[in-house]
Amino acid sequence: MLTRIANGRVIDPANNRDAVGDLWIRDGRIIEVPPGDRPDATYDATGKIVMAGAIDIHSHIAGWNVNTARLLLPEYHRAAAPRPIATPLSKAGWSTFETGCRYAEMGFTTVVEPAVSPHYALHAHLELADVPIIDKAILVILGNDDYLLRLLQANESDAAISDYVAWTLEMSRSLGVKVVNAGGAAAFKENVRAFSFDDVVPSYGVSSRRIVKALQHAVTALGVPHPLHVHCNNLGLAGNFETALTTIAAAEDLPLHLAHLQFYGYGKEGDRGFSSAAAPLAAAVNAANTVTADVGQVMFGQTVTISSDVLRQFNARKQASPRKWVILDSDANGAGIVPYDYRRNNFYNAVQWAVGLELFLLIEDPRRVFFTTDHPNGAPFTAYPEIFALLMSRERRAQWLAELPPEALAVTTLPAITREYSLGEIATMTRAAPGRLLGLRDRGHLGAGAVADVAVYEDDADRAKMFRAAALVFKDGELVVRDGRVTQHRWGRALTVRPERDAAIDRRMKAYYEDRYGLSDDFVKVPEHVLGRPDPFERVPCVS
Amino acid sequence: MEQAWIAGKPATLDSAVAAAAKLLAASRQPLIAGLGTDVAGARAAIALAERTGAIIDHMNSDAVLRGLDVMRSSGVMLTTPSEAYARADTLLLAGEIFGAGEIGSTKRLFDQLARRQGQHGTARRVYWLCPGGELAKRAPNEISLTFVGKQPRALPAVLAALRARVAGRPTTGAAASQKILDEAATGLQAAQFGVAIWSPQALDALTIEMLCGLISDLNATTRFCALPLTPGDNAIGVLQTCGWMTGMPMRTGLGRGFAEHDPWLFDSTRLVESGETDCVVWISAYRAQAPRWRGLPPTIALTGRDAGFRSRPRVHIAVGRPGVDHIAVEHVSLTGTLATVEATQPSGAISTAEAIRRICAALPGEPPC
Repeated sequence: MLTRIANGRVIDPANNRDAVGDLWIRDGRIIEVPPGDRPDATYDATGKIVMAGAIDIHSHIAGWNVNTARLLLPEYHRAAAPRPIATPLSKAGWSTFETGCRYAEMGFTTVVEPAVSPHYALHAHLELADVPIIDKAILVILGNDDYLLRLLQANESDAAISDYVAWTLEMSRSLGVKVVNAGGAAAFKENVRAFSFDDVVPSYGVSSRRIVKALQHAVTALGVPHPLHVHCNNLGLAGNFETALTTIAAAEDLPLHLAHLQFYGYGKEGDRGFSSAAAPLAAAVNAANTVTADVGQVMFGQTVTISSDVLRQFNARKQASPRKWVILDSDANGAGIVPYDYRRNNFYNAVQWAVGLELFLLIEDPRRVFFTTDHPNGAPFTAYPEIFALLMSRERRAQWLAELPPEALAVTTLPAITREYSLGEIATMTRAAPGRLLGLRDRGHLGAGAVADVAVYEDDADRAKMFRAAALVFKDGELVVRDGRVTQHRWGRALTVRPERDAAIDRRMKAYYEDRYGLSDDFVKVPEHVLGRPDPFERVPCVS
Repeated sequence: MEQAWIAGKPATLDSAVAAAAKLLAASRQPLIAGLGTDVAGARAAIALAERTGAIIDHMNSDAVLRGLDVMRSSGVMLTTPSEAYARADTLLLAGEIFGAGEIGSTKRLFDQLARRQGQHGTARRVYWLCPGGELAKRAPNEISLTFVGKQPRALPAVLAALRARVAGRPTTGAAASQKILDEAATGLQAAQFGVAIWSPQALDALTIEMLCGLISDLNATTRFCALPLTPGDNAIGVLQTCGWMTGMPMRTGLGRGFAEHDPWLFDSTRLVESGETDCVVWISAYRAQAPRWRGLPPTIALTGRDAGFRSRPRVHIAVGRPGVDHIAVEHVSLTGTLATVEATQPSGAISTAEAIRRICAALPGEPPC
């Protein structure tokens, strides 16, 4: 099957391409212009923008936590309470099927669920198997687990830690490793209520810093392409930008990815002791070459916060709106589901909104700042098109700023920022850079050999409208969306890494599970054949 | 051995599948009930419901929804069986603990508690509120066991009094002796990691809400979590599957082109007894359980053999037992997660998922994209 996407403006920053021309696809891959061959299908993209399919590196779309949020909030479903179309979650795509379709309609073709506890990996993969069209992956959470803390307490070797990380990656079929408030969930089980980077988990005497550094070293040593994905301590607290600065400094010269940095961009200035600290934080990211960050942009409206940071969610439960929540002290990690309503006229929410945009605009290199709302924590992913529009237009930002509490504007630098993202920068941030960050060499770009994941957009002056409904989307070369509507369902794959490990770890883990839980470790496995889809996995090579 | 029957007479699988598809295609309001099956069976059943506009319900929905209603109206602090096993120093049991499996998993926690006794030098305690007659004898002797109240019907009053004492408020009345209430209140507050356990079949929603409120109160100063036991027939696995596939728990209708959840409207017993459904797919793959409703709607049964139906199902396909005849993913109560269960007696019996897939394929019209 030979397909030609004709005469569009192809924006492919990974290959330094931004020009009107054709894009050719053969059997699911991008190819060079084939000499003389006639295409089986031609799609006219005259006047349109052609980009690689977008990649979302951090969006909570599957697993126990997400599903518990669904069950906690039946009223979010349109059948339970018909909602005005302008309410974000009325469009959020709450089931797995809607999730895949809504993402595809915006031109996204790969999405990473960033927070799966090892024991819930099978559950997460079963959900992902029911997410149509897009490819997906999970990041597995380590850093609050008894086994790792014991290794650190006993000063075990780097190799022992790496073997354990590799074992966990393979069992859970993950693409990378995340750490969530390292040690915080373990400390909370011992009744600790606040936990910072140099605090220690009582029973183990191990600090958050030590956990993060150990995992960062292990991930790097194993050649896992995606750097350790860090959810820092003290999320959401005034003055917490210092926690983020401390964590950035601790990255030293190894790669480290900071998740939803907006939630750490808070100072203590102003009458209310809450202010934007995005400027110093962005400066620190700019200066630290090995550090990347995604934003976790807040948008106004009802949402639900879904986090494995059980300590933070426990402390936030009293702000739940509506007033209900689920807190789980789970195996290794925790979970907290707390619904929340971000309001435009709320001082704190307005500052949060501004902090996110400041980070987008003040971090200079679009290859090191990633586009997320931490779906659904800052906003549902369906809010993305509006955020693209805000980044691309200072005039649009000014319109929004005019409606915010003036006292909030007084504690941010956003009104003074004039930068506007170009389409090329948007393509870098949502395609080229995430492809590289996750080690997906054949995604995020349109060079020959790349997976033919392609999004074609109308070049509409209303950028939100443009990004909300792609004119055409191809997944693996197959047309799946036309005029913003899914036209063809198919099943994607979950991307995994499988670094080498010493086989002895398998015996050690078996013995550990018997001792710790009185159980066989078989239940942590994710057998391919129980997922009910052909070829559910695709292996991404490690870096040697 | 026979695998399928039409109106009680042995039939080939293909003809049973065709007869089932014909019944479903002619139905104006199909109901898929029982749903005692593994995750693969539930995924297939929900896909069939989407295709036919059916209502989905599970035979243990009452128990599941009692707990869920508390969660979705106020909130809950939970832990897992594994974490309770590894960490609990205090257990709070409420009311009767039902079901052999549940008693087994509770006993496992008792045993572990006893094994770890003295490890940290602190007392390990079990408080059991209103255990009822025989059940109280099941606790091993090695651990300190305190009964608070006796009869299960006194549980709401005992629980309210206990919560008041934990909050430092006075109580009156004779729900339980003041001395024991105070001892329990002090003991619960002294827990380092306490776990509250109950059977959702045994308690009503208000009692569960009071328990969850007590747990929340205890967390003001210490750590305490809930570990509600799980009803059988993979009720929690089916709940999870419904959740991700429809956004809703069971008792959800797909007849209007989107999922709508209503615990009363879509209660399968009510639907059958009111005559609102004209075709039932009854699934009981684990146990060959027949439905308990009064009513004889046209039924397509996917169960083990000898389910003891009051009247013969129009179509009956004998399906394999998940985790016995075939590999299965289900909610495993020991781990509190969805996990794979290998077949203990692998056989050629058709799985629920495969039977439903064949029925789906035999429906007239094109499958939706």
